[in-house]
Amino acid sequence: MHPFSFTKAETTREALNAGRRGGRYIAGGTTLVDLMRETVERPEALVDISGLPLDEVSVTERGGLRIGALVTMSEAAAHPKVRTLYPVVSEALELSASAQLRNMATIGGNIMQRTRCTYFRDVTADCNKREPGSGCAALEGFNRTHAILGTSDACVATHPSDAAVAFAALEARVHLLGPDGERQVPFADFLLRPGNTPNREQALRRGELITGVEVPALPRPLRSGYLKVRDRQSYEFALTSAAVALHVRGGVIREAKVAAGGVGTVPWKLPAVERHLVGERLSESLWAAAAERAADGSRPLRHNRFKVELLKRTVERQLRVVGGSK
Amino acid sequence: MSPQPQAAVGAPLSRVDGRLKVTGKALYAAEFDVDGAVHAVIVDASIGRGRITSIDTRDAEKHAGVLRVISHRNAPKLPYRDNAGSNNPPGRRLRVFQDDRVLFHGQPVAVVVATTLEAAQHGASLVEVEYDAAQPSTDLHEAEPGEPTTYARGDADAGLRDAAVRLDLTYQLARNHHNPMEPHATIARWDGNKVTVWDKTQWVMGTRDEIAAVFDLPADAVRVISPFVGGGFGSGLRCWPHTIVAALAARETKRPVKLVLSRRQMYFGTGFRPSYEYRLRLGSDRRGRLSAAIHGIDAETSSYETFTEGVMAPGQMLYSMPHVSQTYRQVPLDVNTPIWMRGPGFASASFVIESAMDELAHRLGVDPIELRRRNEPSEDEAKNLPFSTRRLRECYTVGAREFGWDRRNPRTRSTREGDWLVGMGMAAGVYDPGRFPAQARARLDADGTAVVEAATTDMGPGTYTSQTQVAADALGLTMRTVTFRLGDSLYPQTGPHGGSSTMASVGSAVVDACNQVRQQAIKLAVEDERSPLRGVPADEVVVRNGRLHVKGNPARGETYRSLLARHNRSHLEARGSYTGPPTPERDSYYAYNATFAEVAVDATLGLVRVRRMLGVYDAGRIISPKLAESQAIGGIVGGIGTALLEHTVTDRHDGRIVNANLADYLVPVNADVPEVRAIYLDGEDNAGNALGVKGLGEVVQVGVAAAIGNAVFNATGRRVRELPITAEALL
Repeated sequence: MHPFSFTKAETTREALNAGRRGGRYIAGGTTLVDLMRETVERPEALVDISGLPLDEVSVTERGGLRIGALVTMSEAAAHPKVRTLYPVVSEALELSASAQLRNMATIGGNIMQRTRCTYFRDVTADCNKREPGSGCAALEGFNRTHAILGTSDACVATHPSDAAVAFAALEARVHLLGPDGERQVPFADFLLRPGNTPNREQALRRGELITGVEVPALPRPLRSGYLKVRDRQSYEFALTSAAVALHVRGGVIREAKVAAGGVGTVPWKLPAVERHLVGERLSESLWAAAAERAADGSRPLRHNRFKVELLKRTVERQLRVVGGSK
Repeated sequence: MSPQPQAAVGAPLSRVDGRLKVTGKALYAAEFDVDGAVHAVIVDASIGRGRITSIDTRDAEKHAGVLRVISHRNAPKLPYRDNAGSNNPPGRRLRVFQDDRVLFHGQPVAVVVATTLEAAQHGASLVEVEYDAAQPSTDLHEAEPGEPTTYARGDADAGLRDAAVRLDLTYQLARNHHNPMEPHATIARWDGNKVTVWDKTQWVMGTRDEIAAVFDLPADAVRVISPFVGGGFGSGLRCWPHTIVAALAARETKRPVKLVLSRRQMYFGTGFRPSYEYRLRLGSDRRGRLSAAIHGIDAETSSYETFTEGVMAPGQMLYSMPHVSQTYRQVPLDVNTPIWMRGPGFASASFVIESAMDELAHRLGVDPIELRRRNEPSEDEAKNLPFSTRRLRECYTVGAREFGWDRRNPRTRSTREGDWLVGMGMAAGVYDPGRFPAQARARLDADGTAVVEAATTDMGPGTYTSQTQVAADALGLTMRTVTFRLGDSLYPQTGPHGGSSTMASVGSAVVDACNQVRQQAIKLAVEDERSPLRGVPADEVVVRNGRLHVKGNPARGETYRSLLARHNRSHLEARGSYTGPPTPERDSYYAYNATFAEVAVDATLGLVRVRRMLGVYDAGRIISPKLAESQAIGGIVGGIGTALLEHTVTDRHDGRIVNANLADYLVPVNADVPEVRAIYLDGEDNAGNALGVKGLGEVVQVGVAAAIGNAVFNATGRRVRELPITAEALL
């Protein structure tokens, strides 16, 4: 670990001042501390924001839900409003990490977490995300767990968060506070595809602080759920996952929100699948037909070719689970 | 066993060291508080093969707290004397910091010693190493194999040609790492020309001898201490380079040095179960009676040592057949040297043989258990010796009954529950338990308590507890009044704590020592005018709860305490020994099992979930049933890992281990472990040793992966011949 300074911000103002001077925000620390130990992250100054008043879950005026950035994963998953309004969010959180980690990690940190690409996490390997211009060892290396969607010649690493897949599906908005005031960014614009700059992962300005994630109101009744496919039954990142929310009235799908995880360089929204569903009557044949579009545009690598088929099947399965067969 | 009543042996006792462990008072290697200890962190090679062209240590040396950076540039030449009798495989062992050559990715190229761990870690990251890198060879399938080891009986080619039914199957087995919870760690302290080493090891004597050989010291100049080991599974069976690095760093800095491997370093700083390509050709008649088998076995080893394990034996003796030929080739690669891992060789071979037997059963339409029964040998056809005990048939019978084998539908894909296809599979297992010469010392004190010592290890199976049980009965004492000590090279010498050898070997020496002490006491008593036992024939005296009395007449006797007090004896003491198995062997001595698995497979998503496991074991006498059950659970969990999850991945471009951490190298978590049941057949094997045990720590893992693979086939109709069985093979 490289030497660093550590200060605790008592107020949001203090945090922003420290952030503007280049301080890195730390809350649960479950990603950042790990990466500092591996010397992947070498911040000079850490700013502890865990004491800031950003730890509430509240219903918005329009009937959506705002989850404070410092709400822990376990608190968010257990929150009655989250559970009843957006089971997909609860399920995604509860299928993440371990109980111990979920008790420490926060929602803001969860969507900020960095890739599990083993080459990124091994400082002796080439990695454009860690060291721009050094190359990508995963492209020709062992890439079973890597992305098939949204990749570039510079980077094929997946975004690891499950909750972010649910947020992407539901078209959440990220609330930010910076030196220039507050702003909101649609989830789809918040996490960046690698392109030629895989080191840039979020649309954050210098010193900006995530204050919360807002899940918009959606027509009710809304059925939703999350499926995570992985080698072992707990404590592993997704090979593939699917977040699905459906609004069905009169046997017809009126709204469909679908995103996939474990396959994209960012949580992968599936608009083609959604379009295929909306306006259709529930039927047994519908799910497979819609899921057939899930891997559109995929670019598989040597060891992750199976993800193309697995992704379609994961989406199909979860559409059926959430939609039922009628 | 002795003529003593059996009280502790066979009782389901809890661990005598359980309280120490759960209260954190059991000290592991890195936890010893050695006065003045400084910290060492190894710098690992970041190329897979080549030469070091420069090492810039200036920034590291300038870092506050850094005392010294040692590399081949400034390290003293070390004698590296030959060490016959060690667990070092044939070859030229890795010599730390002796030249500029890099033989594998992760090889130690320097060590940074500093006053704090943080300074040493940061210092290590500041060492700049330049290399002249060459392309490493890390692919088993692309490298040139070494000289084969062969075995033949009959004419396997002709036998196979003439067989009515033939199978030709090739299996790929992934490399596995032991991944004990406790990382390997060493503290070394020199006092003049003597060195004391606190080390995580499964063999204090072996580590002592290796350090003595490397530094050219007399053996008694080295003391190795290792009272607790947080899991080993074989990873502690030889002295690894980091232990030498710690001793060297301590000598160079004249300070005690502590060196703990990081989890990442565990993947190249210690050994592993090698990957295999194993081609098996089987011939049988139409009823499934085997006639011939040809085994082509290729295994990885390092470029500098030729690692061998017992992968050939099962193919020679598990089933009866006239014609067998085997070719076992080590393929030298630019990797570090493998080491034995739980069920070494046998676990790998059993996956192949037992999967193939399942294929044959399916092909012939014969029940897999019935097929095995039809090929049960009446003697060991490789050694031409009778079996000491071989109760596989009983394992099948008990296992089938207890598991509900009759509910298995032999038709594949026949049992569906929602999205899940359900199947059952079984496999036979065999292991060759080790028996090594061992010594032990027993001392009975005047207060009626006893201390028994041997330089063995407890890597988790419960050596402390089981040896105390054995000693307590032989001495006629309660568990509470006997203390068993281990893990110190000053204690009487034993062989390595591995290969399921410890109870047969050390236990036999302990019994011998304790029997002698008891007999000394009895002799004192029966020859003593003042003893109520005077004149009683010695073999009619037994000892219970510390009291000697006439067999069948508890009223006539006296306690050890009164006897020793009257004779003014502070203690009685004896040294016991076990000389190993008879040579030449008179029996074929193996432990066996039948393992059963039920799995559910989500065939759409390629997910395998193990639902139930049962192991039935023929392992001789069970000294400690509770510990034995824990061993079985552990072995089955390990087998689930091998079957479904564990796979050390090497990057072919530069030889780096890609998943050198516990997030990417997957071991089973609680959620992956279903209901596990273990049944040990009652009985004993008196041919092998005085205790009638066969050793069980290995055999419990052998066959598990095959049983799971066979269950996957029964569920899905998919035969996966590559371990681990992952989603992509089942989609």
